[in-house]
Amino acid sequence: MMFLSMRQLLARKKQSFLILLGITIGTAAYVAISGMMLGFQTFILDQLVNNEAHIRISAREDILTATEMKSFPGSDHIFWSIPPSGRKDSTRIEYPMGWFTKLDGDPEVAAYSPQVVAQVIFSVAKVNRTGRIIGSQFERQMKVTNIEKYMKTGSFKDMGNSGNRMIIGSKLMEQLGTRLSETVLISTGSESPQPFKIVGVFETGIKGIDETTSFISLVDAQKLRGRPSEITDIAVKLFNPNDAQIKGDHWKKSSLDKILPWQESSASILSVFKTQDIVRNSMTIAIIVVAGFGIYNILSILVNQKKRDIAILRSMGYRPGDIVQLFLNQGLILGLIGGVIGLILGNILCHVIANIEVVPGRMSGPGNKMMVSFSMLIYVKAFGIAMASSVFSSIIPARSAGKLEPMDIIRSGGQ
Amino acid sequence: MIRAKGLTKTFPNAKIPALNQVNLEIQNGEFISLVGRSGSGKSTLLYLISTLDSASSGEVFYDQINIKDIPAEEIYQLRNKQIGFVFQFHYLIQELTAIENVLLAARKAKEHEKRKDLAISLLKEVGLEGLEHRYPSELSGGEQQRVAIARALIMEPTYLFADEPTGNLDSINGQIIIDLFEKINREKGTTIIFVTHDKEFAAKAKRQITLVNGVLAV
Repeated sequence: MMFLSMRQLLARKKQSFLILLGITIGTAAYVAISGMMLGFQTFILDQLVNNEAHIRISAREDILTATEMKSFPGSDHIFWSIPPSGRKDSTRIEYPMGWFTKLDGDPEVAAYSPQVVAQVIFSVAKVNRTGRIIGSQFERQMKVTNIEKYMKTGSFKDMGNSGNRMIIGSKLMEQLGTRLSETVLISTGSESPQPFKIVGVFETGIKGIDETTSFISLVDAQKLRGRPSEITDIAVKLFNPNDAQIKGDHWKKSSLDKILPWQESSASILSVFKTQDIVRNSMTIAIIVVAGFGIYNILSILVNQKKRDIAILRSMGYRPGDIVQLFLNQGLILGLIGGVIGLILGNILCHVIANIEVVPGRMSGPGNKMMVSFSMLIYVKAFGIAMASSVFSSIIPARSAGKLEPMDIIRSGGQ
Repeated sequence: MIRAKGLTKTFPNAKIPALNQVNLEIQNGEFISLVGRSGSGKSTLLYLISTLDSASSGEVFYDQINIKDIPAEEIYQLRNKQIGFVFQFHYLIQELTAIENVLLAARKAKEHEKRKDLAISLLKEVGLEGLEHRYPSELSGGEQQRVAIARALIMEPTYLFADEPTGNLDSINGQIIIDLFEKINREKGTTIIFVTHDKEFAAKAKRQITLVNGVLAV
C-alpha cells in the first residue's frame, strides 16, 4: 500500500507540505527548548553533584523528646512532670575512624574527604562578611569534587595542608575588596581571628557558593575552631551519583550521624527542574498536537473523498487492513519525514543557541556561551513524539476507512 | 459455476424485498445480460452473486461451495484472483496512470511486475495503446471505462461482473464496450454477467435474465 499512499500524498503537495511543516516545527521546537533547558539543568546538576559531596555525613542533629524514658525498664509507669526539651546535637562526628574504615571498604565509594565546615566572619580592614570555611585535605577534596575545574586564579593545590592559605570565592573576594596574595582575617566567633593569605580564587557560577565560601586546609580549620583532630563532615563521592539516595538511606539505618544525599540537599532545585520539564513537555507537545490535528483533519477529509477508491480496492480483494494501512502510511510518512527534518533543524538551532554569549556566571558554560544539551535522549524523545502524534492522529480516520464496506459506498453512489 | 438458491434481499426499513427467492445457475463461460426496469433487483442480484453483498436469506455457491462457509480471507482471495468488477462509474484512482490502475489487483497479489506485459496487451486490446501512462483526467469517459475493463481482467478472472458498464457512455462507446465483452468471452472463455437497461446491448449476450420486481421472469 506504500506505493498508493505515496501517490496520494504527492498528489496533495500543498496539504502534505503544511502538515510536514507543523511536525517539523514541533519537533525542532522540542529539540531546541529541551536542549536549552536540559543544558542548563545538566550544568546546574553537574555543579550540585560534582562541586559538592554526593553524600554528606555530618554531626548528628537530635531533638530531645518525651519518649526518651521509653528505653528504661518500667517506663510505662513513669511520667514526666515537665517534658524534656532542647537539642542533643554534636558539633563533630563522634567516631570518624569507624566511618573511614567503612568508606575504605565500600566498593561503591570512589573517594571521601574529611572536612571541618564552619560558619565564620571574614574581615578585611573594616569590611566584614559572614560565610563558611571548608577545611579539607586538598588531595582528598580534589578527588571528591571538581573544584579544580572552577579555579579562576591559582591552583587548588596551592592551599597546601597547613600554613594558613585560603582559596576564596570570587564574589566574596570582591565584596571584601581584597585580591590575590592579600590577607583575610577569619574568625569563628569563639576563637580569636586568624590571618589567611589568598592563594587562589574559584568561581563556580553559583552565587550562593561564590559569595560565601572559602577553602582552607583541614589542619588550619581545626586550629581555627580550637578543636584539633575533630571533624564536622565527611564528603563522600560515589562511582554512580544516582545511587546516593539509596546508599544514604542504607547508612541512615546504622548511624546516628546526619546523612544527606545530594538529592535531598538539592530537593528544591530538583523540584524546579521537574516544573521546568512539565512546562517544556506541555509546550512542545501542544505544538505537536496541533500538527496531529492537521493530520487528522486532512486524512478524515481524504477518507471521505476517497470512498470510491476504497470501494474499488475492496472489490479487488484488498482487505480492510490494507485500507487502514493506506491511510496510516500517509500519517507515518509525514511523521517520519517531518520528524527527521525537525531533528536536523532542532540540532542546527541548538548549535546556534550554544554560540550565543551570555553574562558570565549565569547559565553560561565554558567561554560564557549558553549551555545546550545535545543528549541523544532528547532526539529520541522528539522523534518518538512526532511519530506517536502522527500515528495517533492517522489511526482514527484510517480505521474508519477500513470499516467501510464496498456495497455501502456503491449504494451511496460513492459519496 | 455459480449457483444461487432462494436468494432474498430486503434492505433495512424496506417493506418489500428487493430480491425474492431467486434461483439461478450460471455455467462457466456463459455471457449473460441482466435486464429489467429500474428497481427490479438487477444490481442487487449482481452484487449478491459476486460476493460484494450478503443476502438476507438464501445461498450462493461457487463450484458447490457455499460462500457463507468461506472464511473472509479466502473471499478476499476469490475477489482478487477469480472475480473482476466493472462499475457504472469507472472508479479509476485519479493519482495513478492507466497502466497503474490496471495493475492494482496484481499489485495486491504481488504480481504487478509479472503482469506488466499483460496490462500493456490488455490496454492494447481495449484500444488504448499508447495511452498507458495517461492519468484518468487525461482520458475521455469511454476510455476510462475501457481502462476499468482492462483492470477487471488483469488477474485473468473466471468471472467478470459489470454493473451498467455502458450507463454513462454514448451509444458508440457503449457498443465498443459490449463488443469488447463479447470478444473477451469468446477468446478467453471468461464468464461475463452484465447489467444493462439497453435492449440492444442485452441482446448481444448469449443468455438474458430478466428480473421483474425482484423475481426472475420466466
